[in-house]
Amino acid sequence: MPRRKVSIIGAGHVGATAAYYVAEKVIADIVMVDIVEGVTQAKALDFLHAGPMRRYDVSIRGTADFSEIADSDVVVITAGFPRKPGMDRMDLLKANAGIVKTAARSISDYAPNATVIVVSNPLDVICHVVFRTTGFAVHRVMGMAGILDSTRFRMFVAQELGCALTDVHAMVLGGHGDQMVPLPRFTTVAGIPITQLLDASVIDRMVNRTRKGGAEIVAHLKTGSAYYAPAASVAEMVEAVITDRKTLAPCACYLRGEYGIEDLFIGVPAILGKNGVERIVELDLEEEEMDQLKKSADAVRKGVEELNTFFTVR
Amino acid sequence: MKRVGIIGSGNVGANTAFFIAENRTASVTLVDIKEGLSVGKALDILEAGPIRRYDTEIRGENSIDAIRDSDIVVISAGKVRAPDQSRDELYRDNARLMAPICEDIKRLAPEAVVINVVEPVDMITLLVQKGLGFDRRRVLGVGGLLSSTRLRYLISNALGVSSREVTGMVVGPHRPTMVVLRDTIRVSGIPADKLLPPDRVDAILEEVSRAGDTILQLAQRSTSYYAPSAAIAALVEAISRDTKAVMPVSIRLEGEYGLSDIAVSVPARIGKDGVDKIVLVKMSPGEKTAFLAAGEELRASLARVAG
Repeated sequence: MPRRKVSIIGAGHVGATAAYYVAEKVIADIVMVDIVEGVTQAKALDFLHAGPMRRYDVSIRGTADFSEIADSDVVVITAGFPRKPGMDRMDLLKANAGIVKTAARSISDYAPNATVIVVSNPLDVICHVVFRTTGFAVHRVMGMAGILDSTRFRMFVAQELGCALTDVHAMVLGGHGDQMVPLPRFTTVAGIPITQLLDASVIDRMVNRTRKGGAEIVAHLKTGSAYYAPAASVAEMVEAVITDRKTLAPCACYLRGEYGIEDLFIGVPAILGKNGVERIVELDLEEEEMDQLKKSADAVRKGVEELNTFFTVR
Repeated sequence: MKRVGIIGSGNVGANTAFFIAENRTASVTLVDIKEGLSVGKALDILEAGPIRRYDTEIRGENSIDAIRDSDIVVISAGKVRAPDQSRDELYRDNARLMAPICEDIKRLAPEAVVINVVEPVDMITLLVQKGLGFDRRRVLGVGGLLSSTRLRYLISNALGVSSREVTGMVVGPHRPTMVVLRDTIRVSGIPADKLLPPDRVDAILEEVSRAGDTILQLAQRSTSYYAPSAAIAALVEAISRDTKAVMPVSIRLEGEYGLSDIAVSVPARIGKDGVDKIVLVKMSPGEKTAFLAAGEELRASLARVAG
């Protein structure tokens, strides 16, 4: 069996930390690509120096040459600007769409069989850019958002209940924005829905905190945004694909009628394995949950339409 | 580092020591009445350490005095059930071993949290709790936790998904009358009933209730021990690291879920002092009825062996 290869485009905080988490899993060799010469090579070397103690022995390379992503099994796109305080996701879109389009072209040129995990924001719209530019099959392009939103929700639940983090599971659907849809009915402690364990008002508070989870960190940092939890979420998805784990987790998938939504990337539960998105799970949502999902989808669709006014995706 | 004393170094005891070593959560002392057994197993486990990358302290001793001052004591002594042996007969065989073990624990580790895995586990756990006179929250039996891990595996296998995200709890007595809390069977929070046809889930519940027997019949001369040891090691980790993990354990009930003066598995939050809280989960009317009936059947079994 050949060694597996994961490439990460964009070696900023999210990309580099994701590379580190993937290295610790010892499941694939890693290439980090960034247009900034030098920094990427330095980070790769720094990770390698830690290997003897952290006990990973995979190859890690840093480069500015996109051709080094050749034959990757998975490519992660983290390139782009992070959101700054006061910046909305549309400002971000304008800044990031061009960068991501270039990255996507390199992927179709050098790694035509890769599964692509999109991290750049605004996530769901950027997924479209990658999907259209690469021309890859729908199951091979996915976005990282729901796992991140869920891990935040899980942490808040565990903290509130004083129970072990690892017993909590959560489901957050919708676009990766203020209109995401955390689902308390499908959020559990050892399988027990939190609706049995916590008052509605407490759940509401945690749902709101989850929706603003990214902004909370941006507000503390002032310059910069979260990267440990985002990078951990990326590594989880990379592991699911590389090791064919069949992980059921929410991620941004291209919908063709599921949940009554057509031609749009949005966060839904999916089973991830070696073929990328192997199955989209359709939940019976209650009316209010469905309304929230539709609203979230409308916001993403608006983003895609605005993108089309100033940008040619192909 | 917390200290775990394991009484009985057979397959369950030794594998528990091994899993604890791999978790690196506590140092372990294995003891057994069979001369040399604990010493040999401990040495074998230690010698695997350089390859398996643990350097946990594992001791094997012939005298039970070596468990002195343990923070956690695991009782894995006694007989395992032979094919076709009744649980009542097994109880009679194992119950008589417990009186001296309880005396030793009281003398050597009076502050310990005690985990019992000796079968029939709910009956022996009650006997041990009474024999020790410890607060009931410090005497736990491994029953529902073992069935739960089996349930989670079977569900993940049927769905073809990773078992890491699968939850599911089994409560009640550790015998075929056990009760699966169906609503807790979920994958990343999504109920299994939305992912699998209901009759498929029914078949898995049936399989879980006789999972121990399936292994006993297949292996004939030995009962299962990997999954039981994994369940004990999970409890040891929750106690020694005070994780507050929620899992079903057998504990003497005092009115919770409508039962008293018997021990059966119920969902509990586990921390440094044992059961930190019994978690009350909503049962369906069918589950409630089955749980109470199973409790009464267990009570009848206790009355039979006492008579």
